[in-house]
Amino acid sequence: MVDDKQAPSPMDRVWNFFTSVKLAIITLIVLATASIIGTIVEQNLPVEKYHQIYEDWAFALMDKLSLFDMYHSWWFLLLLVLFTVNLACCTIDRLPRVLKVVRNPRTRLDEGLEKSLSLADRWKKKGTVDEWATRYADALSSVFAKPRITRGPEESEEVHLYAEKGVISRFGVYVTHLSIIIIFVGAIVGNVAGFKGYVNIPEGGEITKVPVRGGSRMQDLGFALRCNSFRLETYPSGQPKAYVSDLSVINDGHEVLRKTIVVNDPLRYKGIWFYQSSYGEAGGTTALVAVTRPDGAPVRMLSLAPGEPVRIAGYGAIRGVDYSGDYEGKGPALKVVVEKPGKPETGFWIFSTPGADAARKDSLVFTFGGLNAKMFTGLQVAMDPGVNIVWLGCALMVLGIIIAFFMSHQRVWLKIARGKDGRVEVVLAGSASRNRLAFEKKFERIQTGVKAVEP
Amino acid sequence: MSNVILFNLTTVLFGAASALYVSALYAKNEKIAVFGSRTCLLAAFVSTAALGVRWYESYRMGIGRIPVTNLYESLVFFAWSVNLFYLVVERKYANRTFGAFVMPIAFFTMLFAIKNDSSIEPLVPALQSYWLHAHVITCFVGYAAFAVSSGAALMYLLKSKQEAAKINDGIAGLLPSCKTLDDLIYRAIIWGFPFLTAGIVTGAAWANYAWGTYWSWDPKETWSLIVWLVYATYLHARITRGWHGRRAAILSIAGFAATVFCYLGVNLVLSGLHSYGS
Repeated sequence: MVDDKQAPSPMDRVWNFFTSVKLAIITLIVLATASIIGTIVEQNLPVEKYHQIYEDWAFALMDKLSLFDMYHSWWFLLLLVLFTVNLACCTIDRLPRVLKVVRNPRTRLDEGLEKSLSLADRWKKKGTVDEWATRYADALSSVFAKPRITRGPEESEEVHLYAEKGVISRFGVYVTHLSIIIIFVGAIVGNVAGFKGYVNIPEGGEITKVPVRGGSRMQDLGFALRCNSFRLETYPSGQPKAYVSDLSVINDGHEVLRKTIVVNDPLRYKGIWFYQSSYGEAGGTTALVAVTRPDGAPVRMLSLAPGEPVRIAGYGAIRGVDYSGDYEGKGPALKVVVEKPGKPETGFWIFSTPGADAARKDSLVFTFGGLNAKMFTGLQVAMDPGVNIVWLGCALMVLGIIIAFFMSHQRVWLKIARGKDGRVEVVLAGSASRNRLAFEKKFERIQTGVKAVEP
Repeated sequence: MSNVILFNLTTVLFGAASALYVSALYAKNEKIAVFGSRTCLLAAFVSTAALGVRWYESYRMGIGRIPVTNLYESLVFFAWSVNLFYLVVERKYANRTFGAFVMPIAFFTMLFAIKNDSSIEPLVPALQSYWLHAHVITCFVGYAAFAVSSGAALMYLLKSKQEAAKINDGIAGLLPSCKTLDDLIYRAIIWGFPFLTAGIVTGAAWANYAWGTYWSWDPKETWSLIVWLVYATYLHARITRGWHGRRAAILSIAGFAATVFCYLGVNLVLSGLHSYGS
């Protein structure tokens, strides 16, 4: 960094510190080591558990070092900040230089450059410099890339051809570094503007608020979410096959979205995601009732808790009041009471035979679907406006790494000049920023291609 | 189960290949190594067929899923990847001595695998996702590359010691030059690194789709990050600070040790989300 004898100013020293790769390597190693600690000391257990595991003095020390929630501790975050600052400074320090080299490439193959290149070839031709320059420019275009042509110095009869490929590989490392910063930005946006929560909803129940994880705050959803039903599907062997929740989103009293979710297939509404996460018995029993139109078209499935009315839009409310294992020899039956606006309540029995209830000549037909232990579904709830920024960062990271390691900046120069003996002297040289072995073979092909040119 | 028979055969072939490569080194006989290569090639066909048969059998059982979802399957898939990656390296570098250092990794992986339950079980709900394919395949290609790199690093340490002592007979005489080995260590890592990165990214995407959090500092996630950090350190040290040779080789071995711990240690020692369905 410092090329003269003058002692660097304090500012320079700070800058040199933050732009050094040494710092990057040390930070990477420290981050890795710290991360190991967090996997050995189990994170975020209840305090009593830690007291069981560790002696009092050890507990006090570890608590002081925030080892029980290490990844969110001030010192771990500070490490991440240091890592990011280092990354940013390295980029600010080096990117302009790379840009400069890319914008103003050395298009002239002068002697100094020629000596520094290991891949070079020289030969002589009869004719004029300009003729050969044109021919070689064409040849280079067809075997490698279209060259830039530079003439001069003024009095000399000299033409320089310069062609390059894969300039982008010079930027791979910066794309990768930028991607890490983008991911961190996405994570911060998600933490500041989003929320994570967890909620249990019993079958037939509705929620409008979700308790936020790691706090006592309740997040208002701005709509209601109802769990119509939950079921557990099993394989013949008895192992769980699927956890299935039938959910409805209700906005201003209307069902606006209905979806059956399973693990790995969440429901999304207004940027809020609901993930199948848990389940259990909610206590009590519910009766399943299929609601259809007289023509058999399904309307919805109801899950009735004893005595609790469920409203059906445009119809009225229905509640289950009695159950019989075998009512008058017609099999299992449920007694329901229907309440329509402005009409007296009516009570009747419904059966599991499809269509039997059509005899009532009502606008809806009910069929009893059996009794069910009432379940609840456990949902992870997440709103993360930063997540797409994170994905952008991830995509750029993979892309950047591939560019950085698998592409190479390949440069080829051709100098055509009038030699002292009056003939045309040609120098061909090349270099690659990466994977030189592969470029050597390519250079041989370029050599053959260019040398094959005849007047 | 015919797939298990084929996998057992694969184990025998990997063992035979390892033995052939090692004895070729000791006997300094290239012909034995040629047999090693042929055995590897045969093992590649047999193990690929075994994976295919296992996949097919899962469909016949009405389960129908990719065979990379429990410990047994992940181990055989890892060994399969190592063998293929190795064959490519052998061809590219035209040197068969790598086999003595890489194929035992595949062989011991298979030995460990066949001690585990090999039955085809249906997928638990958490694993029923298309992300599974992308996540597992990218991770394991990365792991295989790191395995090859660490094998080369081991060879480097052997060779450099003997080169320093100016011993050119013995096993070291057959090994590729230090320069070639150093290059292979690096090259395998630059293949493994983007795959590991993609593996972590697809894992994060899947986690986000399954439970709404792309990163939760679960031990498996954290260890994959540790592995990533070790190789990132290697790449920075080598490219910008000119770490070649011994120190770089040791970093490569440390990286693979972290990889093995991330892959197996986390499940056997620590607790977390990746319990291979158990």
